[in-house]
Amino acid sequence: MARVAREMVERSGINVDELVELLVKNASAELTTYYYYTILRVNLIGLKGEGLKEIAEAARIEDRNHFEALVPRIYELGGALPASMNDFHDISACPPAPLPEDPTNIEAMLKVFVNAERCAVRGYTQICNMTAGKDHRTYDLALAILNEEIEHESWFSEFLGEGPSGHFLRRGENSPFVSKFLK
Amino acid sequence: MIKLTIEALSQYNGDHNTPLYIAYKGKIYDVSSSFLWKGGKHQVLHKAGQDLTEELEHAPHGADLLKRVPCIGQLVE
Repeated sequence: MARVAREMVERSGINVDELVELLVKNASAELTTYYYYTILRVNLIGLKGEGLKEIAEAARIEDRNHFEALVPRIYELGGALPASMNDFHDISACPPAPLPEDPTNIEAMLKVFVNAERCAVRGYTQICNMTAGKDHRTYDLALAILNEEIEHESWFSEFLGEGPSGHFLRRGENSPFVSKFLK
Repeated sequence: MIKLTIEALSQYNGDHNTPLYIAYKGKIYDVSSSFLWKGGKHQVLHKAGQDLTEELEHAPHGADLLKRVPCIGQLVE
């Protein structure tokens, strides 16, 4: 634990135990989403599915990166990850993102992706709102993750016909916002 | 449709295996089956058994998400 760093957050008026619980729940959501996205990605086959594979893979890898980036902050603030993988799954901040009954139904697949991303966008918005101007390090991290989650949402929503995402896919490295926390 | 006072609503917080109810703008919703309300809490900060009308105004989502859970009654004086 980073004792003084935690103390600074406490003195800013944030309930650190609540914040840590939120970070653990969101880290759990990232790791479980990474797992579910692995299954979704391998089932993106055929003419329509192949077109989505690249963004599904980018979102999958970036969600795992979000997990990796959150873990140090959890421990710095005196928190810990659950010892059991079952607990990890059950406390996730977002519902499971399972393979639809008919994996060839691309719209159903996209809805699973976009719902997962929207849950994440809400979660990190909440953490940003809670930490803005108070816990600078957690805010910086949550904002970086939020930037990537918003891009994921827009990629998938574009394919659902909700309008252009406004930007192109990743060129080069994944996690353009979060990578600074992974070095 | 059931009718509950705010005091009666507070008992539906998941303790002693009770169902999880929340209130919003006078209506009562059953969130027991929602993954996001596991353990009687939503995103750590919001507790079942309460009128969340004011809290929802500051949430990162709108009241439209309540359409995903059954509306089961009314909050009364």
